[in-house]
Order: sequence, then structure tokens, then C-alpha cells
Amino acid sequence: MATIKANLSLTSAAVLTSPLSLSVNADLLVDSGSLIRQKVKGVAADTNDLCIYIANQCSERAYVYIKNLETELENYIYIHNDTDTGLVAKIGGGEFAFIPVSPDKKYEVYGTRVDQMVEYGVFGNDNSANPYGGS
Amino acid sequence: MATTTATITLSSADLTGDALSLSSTATLTKAGTLTGLSQTTGVGRKTTTATSQYILFDGDAYANGSHKVYLKNTSTVATEFLTIEINSEQMGKLYAGDWAFFPWEANADTNDIKITPSVSTSLTLEYALFIDE
Repeated sequence: MATIKANLSLTSAAVLTSPLSLSVNADLLVDSGSLIRQKVKGVAADTNDLCIYIANQCSERAYVYIKNLETELENYIYIHNDTDTGLVAKIGGGEFAFIPVSPDKKYEVYGTRVDQMVEYGVFGNDNSANPYGGS
Repeated sequence: MATTTATITLSSADLTGDALSLSSTATLTKAGTLTGLSQTTGVGRKTTTATSQYILFDGDAYANGSHKVYLKNTSTVATEFLTIEINSEQMGKLYAGDWAFFPWEANADTNDIKITPSVSTSLTLEYALFIDE
């Protein structure tokens, strides 16, 4: 088992009269994960989506870090799972998200334009019955 | 205009033979512009005492935009989690001590962020919303 230290810092001198300075850390015990940089081909849901997490790839719990590497804020990437009807997140160029995902659902990404670059990582406990690269 | 920055660092010395050391910083801006977010709920906490689903943020109460959301499950009991649903889509389960940070569009009254605690005993969620309006 390995430990990933996930830290988030939120700071602002002006958003409140009292300066905001929040720092949180979570030590995630996981046995698998890596960073991946890929192009997103699809520009509409369920057509050429980039699969970032296959259903039951991990057991119990899993976390996804994803960053939209576009420099244009309005070139979004959209994250959704394949069983529900809405969007999990809409991420602008240069923005990132760090979210838990439901291990038994498939998560996919499409973008505003073809071949947008994203960087993402899935961290969790690998389920050997459903290795990454499955469908 | 306020400038708020979010920095994430992910590091691990033992996940693979190549040590993981990632750091990424983003300035929190309104949708499609470089204008900083100037409104916030501040950092607050909500304590639940039932396994009912709660509306944490009402999609109808905020404009269509690029709001930013921070959530943390403050529980220290490893098995306790909060299931997060956003835009009628299950995001995932936030276990004890874990946090999440993500943008939220809130483009319709159905686009609530909802939480469902796993336990009916006291469970506290820490949150902050940075509002695009």
C-alpha cells in the first residue's frame, strides 16, 4: 500500500475582509495510480469520449485529479458518468478538479474542441478483475 | 476585484518507482473571463444527523457560471462517507478526512449539489463556495 499526500490550499487577501487562508491535507492509502496526458477527441457526450475511469477499475473508493491544459478559459472539458443524465463538472482552460468517483461507474470526458489536452490521474485500490484498459 | 488562488499538490514517494510530485495552481475566475470571483459563502460547516439527502447548494439560487466548490468530510471514522450528487449525477463518495475541489456550473434549478451521509449519527461537512455572479 502506498500513501498519496493530497493537499489543497485556498488563499485570498480580498475575497473576505478577513484574509482567507485554508490548507487541508488528506493522506490517501492506495495501491495504484498514475498521471496520464491525453487528447480528448469527442465534442459531445457519448461520441468519442475519453474514458478516464472504467467501471469497477478500483474497489471501494477512487479519486480523480484532472486538469484542462487549454490556455483558453472557454475551451471547456466536461466530465460525466455513463449512467446518469447530468454533468459531474465543467472545467475551464487552466482549471483543475480533484474529486472522488463512484467505483462502480464509468467516467468519461468530452471537450469544446477536438484534440484538447488534459492531464489526469486515477488513484485508488486496483480491482484486478477490471484492469485499466478494459471497456 | 478579489484574487483567490487554489493550489493542489499531490505527492507520493512509494506509489511507483518514479516519485509523484505534482503541483498546480489556478486563479479562481468567472466563466470565460480573467475576472476573479468576488463573492463567497466563506468556509462553513454543516452537521447532519440522518441518512437523508440534503441540498447543500441550490442550483436555482445561483447564476449560470463557473462557481468553485470545496468540500471536506471532517469525520475521523474511516468508514463514514458522504455521497455527493451534482446535477443529478453521482460524483462519488467522500470518505472521512478526504476533500474535493471542483467547478460547478449551476445552470438550472435542477443542478443542485446534494449530499447523503452514510450514518445517522453526527457527521460534519466543511464547505466553501466561491460564487460567479
